[in-house]
Amino acid sequence: MNAPTDIAISVKDLTVGYGDTVILQNVNFQVRRGEVFVILGASGSGKSTLLKAMIGLYPPLSGDVWIEGGNLVAAQGKERLALLRKFGVMYQSGALFGSITVLENVRLPLDEFTDLPDPLKEVAALARLKLVGLGAAADKMPAELSGGMQKRAAIARAMALDPRILFLDEPSAGLDPITSAGIDLLITDLAHHFGFTFVIVSHELPSIYAIADRVVMLGPGTKGIIAEGKPDELRDGAADPRVRRFFNRQPDPGHSVKPS
Amino acid sequence: MTTVTQNELETDVEVRPDGQARVVLRGRLNEQTVVSCWDLLEKELPGTKVETLQVDVRGLSFCDAAGLILLLYLNMGRMTPHATVSVIGLKADLEIIFHELTLEDDETFRPQPAIKSGSFVEKMGRRVRQIKEDFHDQMVFLGAIIASLPASIFHPKRSRWAETRRVVELAGANAVPIVSLMSLLLGFIIAFESARRLAEFGAQLYVANTIMVVMVRDMGPLMTAILLAGRSGSSFAAEIGTMKVNEELNALKTFGLDSIPFLVIPRILAGVFVTPLLTFYSILMGVIGGVIVMLGLGFALPLILHQLASSVHLNDLGAGFSKSAVFGVIVSAVGCWHGLRTQQGPSAVGLSTTRAVVTSLLLIIVADAFFSAISFLIK
Repeated sequence: MNAPTDIAISVKDLTVGYGDTVILQNVNFQVRRGEVFVILGASGSGKSTLLKAMIGLYPPLSGDVWIEGGNLVAAQGKERLALLRKFGVMYQSGALFGSITVLENVRLPLDEFTDLPDPLKEVAALARLKLVGLGAAADKMPAELSGGMQKRAAIARAMALDPRILFLDEPSAGLDPITSAGIDLLITDLAHHFGFTFVIVSHELPSIYAIADRVVMLGPGTKGIIAEGKPDELRDGAADPRVRRFFNRQPDPGHSVKPS
Repeated sequence: MTTVTQNELETDVEVRPDGQARVVLRGRLNEQTVVSCWDLLEKELPGTKVETLQVDVRGLSFCDAAGLILLLYLNMGRMTPHATVSVIGLKADLEIIFHELTLEDDETFRPQPAIKSGSFVEKMGRRVRQIKEDFHDQMVFLGAIIASLPASIFHPKRSRWAETRRVVELAGANAVPIVSLMSLLLGFIIAFESARRLAEFGAQLYVANTIMVVMVRDMGPLMTAILLAGRSGSSFAAEIGTMKVNEELNALKTFGLDSIPFLVIPRILAGVFVTPLLTFYSILMGVIGGVIVMLGLGFALPLILHQLASSVHLNDLGAGFSKSAVFGVIVSAVGCWHGLRTQQGPSAVGLSTTRAVVTSLLLIIVADAFFSAISFLIK
């Protein structure tokens, strides 16, 4: 069975856990083509676990993840490799390979998975780097880059094989507001001008308002989605008080150090 | 005009004598067809004096990212350096690729070949300066250890005996199985090899003497130290190196804690304590290995034990254990030294670990040679 054509990703009845511990239970949602979809929630709510299950790093206890019409959970061998080429991933730390230059990092997937002539691989890698504003850093080592630049380089590497979907894990975490705004702008440009579909894990409210077309929110201890919709709508009209508290930056009751 | 059809792509290449060239692509330009198209264009276009290149893609039914990169490459003039290039018939929304990278960008961003480093004399000079700086740092490290040692041992608040006990367990108790196996087999090897040679002189009984002397004076301390260098020295370097990469050493500094008494001294004390103990155990297991071989050769146990007892003196045992204590200091100090010098980057911890093991092994052999020479001269 294939997912409908305007749906890029479909998560169906996904249950993820380790051993006897269930982290997420029966999670269902869909991501449309070309939208910036944000998974948000408090620390420990299972955002990164959900992302890792969606990209096939954690085999789920049950359920399916359909990506561009193929079930990543069930796919094996060449079928799985073909599905993996449909998306790119930027990890929270950037996860650039430290022993090779930034250009070589972006070229690596092209070297491994294509038969393109070397000059074309180099041009393709340089074009990706220029797209994320890092052309001048091509021959630098990852350790020479700032945190924001490393994340940009990781996005360029994720785009190397020209996937249509990009998964980003906490792209703004640990960055100053200006660098963070630069990453947000890059994401919206890539989505709106180049048609990439984004699935982003974040809990940075300014970024969420700037980039998200739609969000799902995971609740701590609920093992699932507690809200789904547009950020503005959830901030003002969510029925669940935990969602309103999150969007209005209000701490949970009883979190003060002042004696009562 | 050359026309080639391969994998759903038809490529026409025409180069006229007046410098006008035309490439016509029809069909599907994708990752697979780009390769054959590239081979043809590379054969036909470069080397010719092309002044104007026209790439006609009106006949393309499909063009993926790899195809666009080929068109970008041609449009930049990378294949025809002196030509004016035009690509006609590309859909307006795909023309964005030509803005992704221009020829100027390509020339600016493309990594330049590495500049060759200086002459032999310059390299030698740099190396000598490096050795001098390393020696200075090593002396500072040694001085810091000596200065911290009394307080770390005798000052109850500064002693970290719990950490020392943990390292003793990791480096000592947990190494017992591998030391047992290695020393027992070493005893077998020495016994078998010496038995064969001594049989020629009818002196197989002296296998016991050989085992005892070799194990006590050299192989026991040496093999134990080599094993500790590979097992514990590397672990010290990796542990402290990872702490440095994770900024745990900076955290210690901001608490006002010095990493020498906090991390290095417990490991050195553990090394000094554990190495002679493991050496004693190694000697015991090696001798047991030799005794088993001698029993197999038909010698009686009391006779073997008598030979063993008469073959070494107290000063032999003293020499063996004192050198093993020195080896313990070498392994611990070198492991910690390289751990503390770990640089940033993913390969830094691995590099420190490798350096710790190699330096330890080298210094152990040098120290052993020194001990042998001293012992020979004293006699």
